[in-house]
Amino acid sequence: MIRRHIPFWLFVLLGVIFVLGLGAFYEYLAQRQYGINAQQRSVPGYTSIYEGFLKALKPQGSETSPRPSMLWSDLKATYGRLLMGLTVGTLLAVTVGVLMGAYRWIEAILSPVIAFMSKVPQIAILPVFFILVGTDEKMFTSMIAFGIFFTMAESVYQAARKDVHDDLINKAYTLGASDPEIIYEVIWKQILPRVLDTIRTHIGPAMGFLLAAEMMVGGQGIGYRIRMEQRVNDMRIIFSYVVILGLIGLLTDWALRWARRKICPWFGE
Amino acid sequence: MMNSSESSHSPYALEVRNVSHWYGPHKILHNINLQIVPGQIVAVVGPSGCGKSTLLKAILGTHPPMAGEILTEGKRVSEPSRDVGIVYQNYSLYEFLTAEENVAFGLKLDATSLTSRLISLPNYLRKRRNHLVESRAFLEKVGLGHAAKKYPSELSGGMRQRVAVAQAFILKPKIVLLDEPFGALDEATREDLQVMLLRFYQENLQAKIEGRIPKYTILIVTHELNEAIYVADRVIGLSRYHTEGEKGATVVYDRPCPVFHPDDPRDHSKFVDQREELRKAVFEPSYIKHHAKYVTFWNDLAKASHEANEPHATEAPEQ
Repeated sequence: MIRRHIPFWLFVLLGVIFVLGLGAFYEYLAQRQYGINAQQRSVPGYTSIYEGFLKALKPQGSETSPRPSMLWSDLKATYGRLLMGLTVGTLLAVTVGVLMGAYRWIEAILSPVIAFMSKVPQIAILPVFFILVGTDEKMFTSMIAFGIFFTMAESVYQAARKDVHDDLINKAYTLGASDPEIIYEVIWKQILPRVLDTIRTHIGPAMGFLLAAEMMVGGQGIGYRIRMEQRVNDMRIIFSYVVILGLIGLLTDWALRWARRKICPWFGE
Repeated sequence: MMNSSESSHSPYALEVRNVSHWYGPHKILHNINLQIVPGQIVAVVGPSGCGKSTLLKAILGTHPPMAGEILTEGKRVSEPSRDVGIVYQNYSLYEFLTAEENVAFGLKLDATSLTSRLISLPNYLRKRRNHLVESRAFLEKVGLGHAAKKYPSELSGGMRQRVAVAQAFILKPKIVLLDEPFGALDEATREDLQVMLLRFYQENLQAKIEGRIPKYTILIVTHELNEAIYVADRVIGLSRYHTEGEKGATVVYDRPCPVFHPDDPRDHSKFVDQREELRKAVFEPSYIKHHAKYVTFWNDLAKASHEANEPHATEAPEQ
C-alpha cells in the first residue's frame, strides 16, 4: 500500500544495505579494471582513493619553507569564495525579494527582469563575467552572487507575497506598526525559515557555478585541481575530493536544518 | 491638519456618515449612517454579500469609502491605525510569536520604535519585561494564562481566538472590529467566547457606574442571529431590500437588544420575537419596506432611559 508505515530500524537498515551494496559493486568494478590493467587509475579501488587522499593531505613546499597541503589550500580557496559569494548574493536577494513582496511598485518594476533572469542557466553567462569582471577573486564572488541572485530573489519574493497574508499586515498597522517595522517584525520574521531553506538549496547550484569557473580560469581551488588531475587521468585525487565535497555538503545541510529548528522553533519540520 | 468635520470632543467612538461604496459599476453600500458610543457592543447582521465586510474594511481603513466619511472619536479614518482594532475569523496571529508575545506585540510597537529597540537595548528590555507581565495578565483574564508560552500552532481554534481578542484589546483602541470571530469554532467554544464578550460588557457597565470611560467598544459582524442578539446591546441589519430605489445595502434595522449577564443561564426564548423581527426585516427579499421603520435605536434608548433610570453601558450622548 502506498505510504504504508515501516519501522524506523527497517528504514535505516534499508538505507545502509543499499549504500554498502553500491560500495561493494563499485569495488567489484575497480577490481575488474585492475584485472585488465594493474596500473589503471580511471576506476581506482578504495585503497587507491585512500592513497590519493594522503597525497592531497601531504604538506607541500620544501622542508625549510613548508606550505599547506594541496587539499587544505584548495578547500580554503573554494569555500572562501563560496562563502563570500553566497553572503553577497543572499544579502542582495533577500533585500530585493522582501521589498518586492512589500511594495507593489517595486514588484512592478523588478518582477519581469527577475522572472526572466531566474530562468536563464547562469553558467551560460560565465564567459560574460570573464570579460566584464576579469578572472581574479572578485570574479568568483560576483559570479556566485549573480548566479544565485535571481532564483533566490524570486523565492524570497514569492514567500514575502504568499506567506504573509494581508490580514497580518493590516493587523500590524492597527497595532501601531510603521512600514519599516512591518518589513522587519512581520514580513522578515514570517519568511525567515523559508529564507534559510532557500539558502540551503542554493548552496549546491552556487558550488556548481564556482567549480565550473575554477575549472575554466582558476589557479587554485577544487575545480582547478579536478581539471589538473583529469588531464593526467588520475582519478584517485578527484574521487577523494568528491567524497570530501559530499561530506561537507551533508554537514552544511545538516547544520542549516539544525539552525532553522533553533532559530524558528515555531516552523516545525 | 484637522479636517473641518473633525473634532477632538466627539461623543462617538465611531461615526459613519453617509457612506456609499462601489466595486466598479456595482453599488455595494448605500448611504450608511451609524453612530456608536464608547462601551457599546454592536452586532451587524445581513445576508451574504450584502456589504458587511466592505463596511468593516471601510471602518478599518483598508478600503476607504468612495462617498461619505468615517470618524473615530472625531478623527477621520483614511488608513488602518491603532484607533481601530481588528479580530479576524481566521485568527491571523503571528505564528513566530508565542501567545504572550502576540498579545504584547502591540505594546512593543506602541511604546518603542525600531531604531530605539536597536540603539537602546537595555531600556527596551526593561520595557519588554513590563509588556510581557501586562500581556500575561490579559491572557489570564481571557482564561489562557497556562498557554502563555505556546505558539499559535500549538493552540486550538478557540484558544487562538482568545489570544487574538487579547491582542486587539490590550492596546485600548477606540473600537475593535470582530469579523465573524467565532464562525470557525465549534458550538461549545463559540458559547464560551460569547460569554467572554458578555463579561467585557459587564466591565463596561461597572465603568459607567464608577464614572470611568468604558474600555470595550465592539462592532461584531456575524451571520448568526442568536449570537448577534445574545452578545450585543444593539443590533444593526444591513440589506439591499429597501425602498430607497437604489441598489446597494443600507441600514434597515437598528434596535437595542436585551442585555444578558454572563453567569445567567442562556435563554434564547427571551429574544425569540426580536429574532423573528430581525429575520423578516433584514433577510426576506419579499419584505420590501421603508428602510427607516426599524431604525429606531436612539429613540428606543431615550424612551428606555426615561422609563427606567438604571445604569446602562449605552447612553445617548448629548448632541
